[in-house]
Amino acid sequence: MLKPIFALALIAIFSVGSAVADICVRDDSGAEVCLSKPAQRIIALSPGATELIYAAGGGDQVIAAVSYCDYPEAAKSLPRVGSYNRFDQEAILAQNPDLLIAWIEGNPAEQLAKLKSLGLTIYYTQLNDFDDVSTSLERLGKLAGSETHAKLAAEKFRAGIADLENRYSHSAPVTVFQQIWSNPLMTVNNEHIISEATRICGGVNVFGGLPNLSARIDNEAVLAADPEAIIAGGMGEENRDWLDEWLRFSGLTAVRRNNLFFIPPSTIQRPTPRLLEGTILLCQHLETARGRR
Amino acid sequence: MAAVKTSRGAVPHFILPLSILALLTFATLALAITTGSVSISNAELWQVLSGGGEPLHRTLVFELRLPRALSAFGAGGLLAVAGALMQVLLRNPLADPYILGLSGGAAVGALSSMLLGLSAAAVSGSAFIGAMVSALTVFGLAHGTGSWTPTRLLLTGVVIASGWGAAITFMLAVSPSDQLPGMLYWLMGDLAYARSPWPALIVLGLISIIMLPLGRSLNVLARGQMQAAALGVSVRALEWTIYIAASLLTAFAVVTAGSIGFVGLIVPHMLRLVLGNDQRLILPAAALAGGALLTLADTLARTLIAPEQLPAGVITALIGVPTFLYLLHRSR
Amino acid sequence: MLAAKNLIIDIPERNSGTPLSFEIKPGETWGVLGPNGAGKTTLLHTLAGLRKPRSGAVELAGTDIQLLRRKQVAQQLAVVFQNNGEGFPATVLETAMIGRHPFISPWDIESAEDLAIARAALQKLELGNLEHRLISTLSGGERQRLAIATALSQTPKLWLADEPSNHLDLKHQVQIMELLAEQATGNCGIVLCLHDLNLAAQWCDKILLLYPNGDACWDDADTMLATPALEKLYNQPLRSIVSDGQRYFIPLSSRNSG
Repeated sequence: MLKPIFALALIAIFSVGSAVADICVRDDSGAEVCLSKPAQRIIALSPGATELIYAAGGGDQVIAAVSYCDYPEAAKSLPRVGSYNRFDQEAILAQNPDLLIAWIEGNPAEQLAKLKSLGLTIYYTQLNDFDDVSTSLERLGKLAGSETHAKLAAEKFRAGIADLENRYSHSAPVTVFQQIWSNPLMTVNNEHIISEATRICGGVNVFGGLPNLSARIDNEAVLAADPEAIIAGGMGEENRDWLDEWLRFSGLTAVRRNNLFFIPPSTIQRPTPRLLEGTILLCQHLETARGRR
Repeated sequence: MAAVKTSRGAVPHFILPLSILALLTFATLALAITTGSVSISNAELWQVLSGGGEPLHRTLVFELRLPRALSAFGAGGLLAVAGALMQVLLRNPLADPYILGLSGGAAVGALSSMLLGLSAAAVSGSAFIGAMVSALTVFGLAHGTGSWTPTRLLLTGVVIASGWGAAITFMLAVSPSDQLPGMLYWLMGDLAYARSPWPALIVLGLISIIMLPLGRSLNVLARGQMQAAALGVSVRALEWTIYIAASLLTAFAVVTAGSIGFVGLIVPHMLRLVLGNDQRLILPAAALAGGALLTLADTLARTLIAPEQLPAGVITALIGVPTFLYLLHRSR
Repeated sequence: MLAAKNLIIDIPERNSGTPLSFEIKPGETWGVLGPNGAGKTTLLHTLAGLRKPRSGAVELAGTDIQLLRRKQVAQQLAVVFQNNGEGFPATVLETAMIGRHPFISPWDIESAEDLAIARAALQKLELGNLEHRLISTLSGGERQRLAIATALSQTPKLWLADEPSNHLDLKHQVQIMELLAEQATGNCGIVLCLHDLNLAAQWCDKILLLYPNGDACWDDADTMLATPALEKLYNQPLRSIVSDGQRYFIPLSSRNSG
């Protein structure tokens, strides 16, 4: 019962402190982002950025987002300023934001440069691994003035992943085909965050060595690799159609042992704290697969 | 009478090129079932074909490679025949099956159902509906006042096609990012979508048979509407038949493999440069050559950088463009 | 054989003018004369059944030509069009062969006999050695001769030819007119749209004058080819000369009327 009160007190102390000194963090582009006081009007420019800022405790200060920002529930009712790949600069300016959270790989660089030249503060995100998730939470929390909340979230994530790693990463390896799309059939290499989850769970991505981050392959390559398990997302969060398409290949080990697993794509493909959920699910699935040997 | 008819001029003239093309088709189909990410030796292949062999190899050959090769053959043949027909209909050797907006209509249909998250079968169905809506719209508009000149048809088609183009751009612009690769690959044309080769092959066979007795009328129509009418061709009926046939051919091709470019333009044109302009030869030759080209292109697309895949449309262009330019150059 | 019954050709935004009623009998050569835009080509196409008349009818052997199947018409009547540039690439022989189209059933292909007819037609028009050339490589005169060869291989009983002497040098002009006269002698009916009065005077038995306002008159060539009527038709002063019993017309210009 005392804990929340204690936390509130801590926040109060930090707030007083930050009123005098600048808040500065380094973003994923390597630049220093400084605010004179915690951000009050934040616009998140990608679904991933939206999730991160909410998870970092800055949700109340988020005033707008872009299309398809669907998590958490509260983000659904935010005003929109366009889509992540083409946003409405006027709408952004009209909101008078004091912080934009951008996505290096997905947002158009020219539009961001223009907004920057107009004097807006931009924090660039580019999350490549699990570690980036926790550090991003901490840095965004600092900017939003919710450092304590953010630190807790980051710690929870780190601890959860470390726990999984301890339990599963040295278990007997399971070969896995990670399907991120059907029609065309697509997978990812070891650089992708999904593969990190697989590694943590003691799995081996059968296409890990491909040169490109994501690659289009054919059914035949999967038959040739004959993975022990197939892990797929789907169109939408509940759709298992993609897995059913494998059933016609009865020669596949994964099909024979019924190791066709579905993981809601938003919990495994987006580099956000929800990765923990997805990874837990993935580890459970691979453990099931081990049990079916 | 029979004695006179045995010394026909045309038939021997057809046999050689068609046999060569049939051999070529056979060779590409053979290549398609023998190559892939998994290497299967000739001995193993022989076992598989004679009903034995390893289960994995049987699956590869009978469930993956053969249906896909046949789909490629079907789609390629459909496109080439449709292109040959469109060229006669518009009296324009540069016409292709997509010139009147069919692929645009199909693409809008397919992308809409992808956006709605429908199943692959529904995507095929809506592509077909889109193609037919486009065909009927162009037909109705071009035909509106009764006169139907190639120019009017062409203009109507080109305008409708650019309308679809804008709709496609719009849909790509508003789609969520994870949907984009699927949409773009569909637009580039890809045999990975092929579900069953039979619709394409059956339509190709049926329409080829229907077109066979019309071949000579097509030759006459190629000389112009007036000339054809003066030589006893019921021009309007024939043009409608060609239009409907070409639309159906294209629609089935697009449903099988997305909008694969170049085959429909380049194959009939190449054949004309080599074999002349007798449609009775060009149409069956186009079915074989278009089928063989796409089968080869698809085999290369899935093996060149295996296990990664290229869109077959890229390969058809890579094979087609230089060959075409060479023939054009050689033919003065 | 081919008859116009109160025929009014359909030229948009023009008065109906004189209804045409005449019959082209086997062996007759008709010349249609008129200035540019008078409707000569439209009349020819209407007679061939390729255009619907505004009113009246064209009858081929007693039946309205619009009610006949195109194939039946094409077995008796050939049309030589003015523009032969349109269309797809094709060789000279292929083009001559399409003249046989009306006689071959859909499931059949050309017989040796058809090939012989087409080759003979090409020989007759001195195109025999160009058999394998593409039309696009022919000169204007050669194309014109090819169009006539195509009609010839159609073995028609009626010829409707639009300016058959177009693009032709003098020798080939004479050759073509002789060929048509020979066809007439062989009991064919011939209708020619002509702009050369002298060809009309030399080769036609019957003349039809077509005025830009839709008026028309027709009769034997001797009565129709009178200088005043022709001057009115073309709105152009003419002089007529008779030499060796043959009449010639020369257009006069104010600059050299000496």
